[in-house]
Amino acid sequence: MSIETSPVFLLEVATDQPIEADLLDGIAEQQLVHWEDEWMPVLRDVVARMKAAGIERSKWPQSLHWDWRQKAQGFERALANPGFCVMCQGMTQGMMFLDLLHKARIASQAGKELVYIEYLENAPWNRRHIAGDQVRFAGVGSILVRAAIELSREEGFKGRIGLHSLPQSNPWYANTCGMTDLGADPDYPHQLRYFEMTPEQAEAFLAKGNTS
Amino acid sequence: MKIEVTKDWCIRMARLEVETGADMGIGGAPAVANPDAVALDPSSGSMPETNIAFGRFVRLMRRKRRQTVESLAEDAEIDVAELVEIEEDNHHRPEPRTVYQLAKHFDLPTPSLMQLAGLSAAKNASFYAEAIRFAARSETVEDLNDIERAALEAFVSVLNDRK
Repeated sequence: MSIETSPVFLLEVATDQPIEADLLDGIAEQQLVHWEDEWMPVLRDVVARMKAAGIERSKWPQSLHWDWRQKAQGFERALANPGFCVMCQGMTQGMMFLDLLHKARIASQAGKELVYIEYLENAPWNRRHIAGDQVRFAGVGSILVRAAIELSREEGFKGRIGLHSLPQSNPWYANTCGMTDLGADPDYPHQLRYFEMTPEQAEAFLAKGNTS
Repeated sequence: MKIEVTKDWCIRMARLEVETGADMGIGGAPAVANPDAVALDPSSGSMPETNIAFGRFVRLMRRKRRQTVESLAEDAEIDVAELVEIEEDNHHRPEPRTVYQLAKHFDLPTPSLMQLAGLSAAKNASFYAEAIRFAARSETVEDLNDIERAALEAFVSVLNDRK
C-alpha cells in the first residue's frame, strides 16, 4: 500500500515563520527509526534529569512507555488501523494511530461509527513541558486531529472522532478542540478521560482555523 | 488519502497551540498512579517487605514460565530495564503501568499486585504477613525448588483470593 503525501505547514516557534511540511497517511520504517534514534534519547535524557532533580513522576513525559514499533507491527496488517505522521525538515514531528472499529458514546450519536485515535504523540522537541522556550514547531497536533476528522468524513462517519487523553492534554481537547468530556473511563488503564467530537464540533474545530 | 489544508489554517491553529501551551498526547498509560490507589509516601520507607516480595514474586513467576527477562518484558510489553530493577533492586518503586501489564500477563488481579508492589495500601495486615512469609521462603536460586514452588503457588492463591 503506497503512502500519500499532503502539503501542510508548521509554525517555527523561534522565528514565528511558516515552514513547509508533509502529512503522510501512513507510518513506515523511517518514522520508527526516528522514534527510536531521535525521540527516545531525548525522552530518556529528560527523565534522567527530572529524576535527578527530584521532580515527581506525574510531571514526567507521559508518553514514555509508548512503543511505536510494537504498535506498528501489531497494526501493520490491519486495514482498520491506519496511521498518519507529520514530516518536516527530514524529521518525524508527530505520529498517530487510528482505529475504525469504535462506536460513539455521546447519547445523541450513540452506536454510530467514529474514528478513534488510539495513539498520538508529538516529537519531544515540540512539547512545551519538555522543550520549554526552545519548542521547535507548533501545529503538529492540530494537523493530526484534522487528519482524523477528514478520514472520519471520508469513511462516512461525518467527522466523529473519539480519544482517551493523557492528563496533561485534557485542557487542549476540552477547550481548544471543543470535544465533549465524557469523564474518566473506568475500563481504560489509569482511567484516562474519554473525549468525543460530534459532526457539529468537528465543523467548529475546522472553522476555528479559518477565522482570523 | 489526500487532505487539503490551507497554510492559513495550519498557522492559525499552530498559534493557538503556542498560546495555550498545549500538549496533545493521546492513549497509552500515563506515568501517574492509579487515582483509586492509596498513595504511599516512598520516603517513609513503608512496606519494604512487600517490595522484596514483589521483586521475588516477579522473578519466580518468570522462572516458573521459563522466560528470560527479555522475553517477559517483550510479552508483557514493559521496559526491560525496569524489569531488571524490579527483580534486582528492593528499593525500586515500579511504574503503575508496569504493574498493570504484569498483572495482565500473569492473569492476576491488578489491585493485589499494586498492593504487593507498594503502590497502594492493603486493606488489612494479613496481606503484609503473607508477603513477608513469601519473601522469607523464596530465596533466589537457579531452579525453582519444591519449597519455592509451594510458596509461589500459595501466594498466587492469596493474591487471587483478593479479587
